[in-house]
Amino acid sequence: MNKVIKRDQLVAALDSIAAKYQLIAPVQDESSVLFKPGVAGKDVVLDAVNSTVSPKGTFFPQWETMYTYNMAEADFAVKHPDQGPDRVLFGVRPCDIMAILHIDPVFIGEKFGDFYYEAKRNKTTIIGVSCPSVAHTCFCSTFGGSPTANKGADIMFYDLGDKFAVEVLTDKGKAVAELISKFLTDDAAAPAAVEAKAKELAAQCKPVDVTGVKEFLDGAFEHPYWVELSKKCLNCGVCTYVCPTCHCFDVVDEGYKSEGQRIRCWDSCMAKDFNLAAGGHNTRPSKLEKVRNRFMHKLKYHLDRYNLAGCIGCGRCSQKCPVNLDITQVISDVKAVK
Amino acid sequence: MKSINENLQKQALKMLEGKEVDLIIGWEKGTDLVKTTPVFVDTPEKVNRLTYSPFAVTNLVKYLLDYQNLGDKIGVLVKGCDSRAVNRLIQDNQITKDRVVVLGIPCSGQLDPVKVLPKVDPTADLTGVEDKGDSFVLKTSKGDVTLSKKEFLREKCFACENPNPVVADVLLDKEVAKTSKNNDYADVKALEAMSVEEKNNYWNQQFNRCIRCYACRNACTACSCRECVFDMHEPYWVSKKTTLNDNTVFHLTRAMHVAGRCVDCGECDRVCPVDIPLRKLNQKVLKDIKELFGTPTPGSAAETESALGRFNPDDPEEFM
Repeated sequence: MNKVIKRDQLVAALDSIAAKYQLIAPVQDESSVLFKPGVAGKDVVLDAVNSTVSPKGTFFPQWETMYTYNMAEADFAVKHPDQGPDRVLFGVRPCDIMAILHIDPVFIGEKFGDFYYEAKRNKTTIIGVSCPSVAHTCFCSTFGGSPTANKGADIMFYDLGDKFAVEVLTDKGKAVAELISKFLTDDAAAPAAVEAKAKELAAQCKPVDVTGVKEFLDGAFEHPYWVELSKKCLNCGVCTYVCPTCHCFDVVDEGYKSEGQRIRCWDSCMAKDFNLAAGGHNTRPSKLEKVRNRFMHKLKYHLDRYNLAGCIGCGRCSQKCPVNLDITQVISDVKAVK
Repeated sequence: MKSINENLQKQALKMLEGKEVDLIIGWEKGTDLVKTTPVFVDTPEKVNRLTYSPFAVTNLVKYLLDYQNLGDKIGVLVKGCDSRAVNRLIQDNQITKDRVVVLGIPCSGQLDPVKVLPKVDPTADLTGVEDKGDSFVLKTSKGDVTLSKKEFLREKCFACENPNPVVADVLLDKEVAKTSKNNDYADVKALEAMSVEEKNNYWNQQFNRCIRCYACRNACTACSCRECVFDMHEPYWVSKKTTLNDNTVFHLTRAMHVAGRCVDCGECDRVCPVDIPLRKLNQKVLKDIKELFGTPTPGSAAETESALGRFNPDDPEEFM
């Protein structure tokens, strides 16, 4: 962490990376900030605390072709698409890196591996950038995160205003760091500055206490609270699509005559067809079951399965929900309704 | 605004205690200063949660659809823009008027939460709002904030057609004077003036961002289909891929499907997480319908006939 890079050198440094890797980074798209692949250093924006949509799509795209087929051919000519070049995912906030770590076991499990996710994960070097400030909806500290955490990053950039302190954390990170070594200078004061910034930002996170919430939810499946809560939900998919940990997907065959492709796309427990089964039965037919599932998944099921929190406190759903159905309110409500 | 809130709670209590309604759908304080959230008040004890402020942005009429097949009598709070949707749902036989009690709010403009957020401490409590004519004074637990309407109102409020509800069983305050200009459709005209290529580039840039969360559809009072084409698998009308083509099919299909039924409440535009200017799209259709058929904005009056819901032999057919 004794190395720093000046802010005005960042574009050149990112272009050095982009010359060798596909650079995926947050860019401005009108009023939204979105992670896009193949961007140039000059287009990268780092002033938004959180991107509008999380960067989970780098590994788990909103839609992807799993394979193409042609049933007219003897072996059906099944072809898996190439999983793309080596890439550097730059500008990821600590909460979003934590989210990746929390959905890794879903796709890279002991029993089941997911070729598509794993291939892209292996091809990607993650450069985290600490938060410049804290939004009023941020509550990463609730789940053990912090605006300056480096866990899961291959390289971490700590935002110190006119410069970034740079910390190389893995071998993967080392290879990318070599590309930008000429931009790095020694700064013995950097570690202390990072520590001071870390303290300052951590204190600004929204205080949300999840103590006892999981234990309450263990016995609250039939609680009348869900009936009340779900009334205002519009069952749109905003919360699930901007969320960095929501990972449900649907698989659809799209074809014409003998040729076609099998695609995988994001699904949402808010969607009408999410639990629709053959024969027309829907196991989560109404707002009640859908809303309950979302919060149970965030605050209980993911913990049950992986002993990892299903929410990492990025606050995107709180910001974007059209009717202000806010997970932090749910957390404080369930503690009160016991 | 104090009088509206007092009157609102008084009326709500009277209606619930007198069993005039089973439920009142209103707004309550949200999780930060610039937000309200819908509240469903079905007992007198919950009445004190009801509130109205310039942050009461949600069009609550959408929720009437959740109760259309139940027997309850529903009270619903509406601003002028929302009230047009009540007429539309009744005209479409989505719900009958005798099941709805409309509590109308004369509205002098809604504040844009995105514009206001940097000016306030969002963690403060909103204790009151004073309407000074040209500005709102927000009384908060961390001090007063004066916001000029010129700068901080929602875009749609600058050309408000109905500051007073077009339908109301109970009016919660004195009617307000219409101060905003008539809608001159300047945004639409600017788009119309573009070349085909420019228009194409403009909408491609917008639709490319769409994440197909369907918030626009789900917030829309005109979207009342029991089964939406975008949820169907057999036939599989539109791909689940979020390609520009499929996103465009979604938005244009929806715009055409709500044509003549869209009440221009602007909810689609407000709820979009990636700020696609959907109101411009719907206003283009609205403007065309007004020009071709000479009809007012749908829902403007209880007896308005739907321009596209009837046929006259002399209807314009200039595109045929």
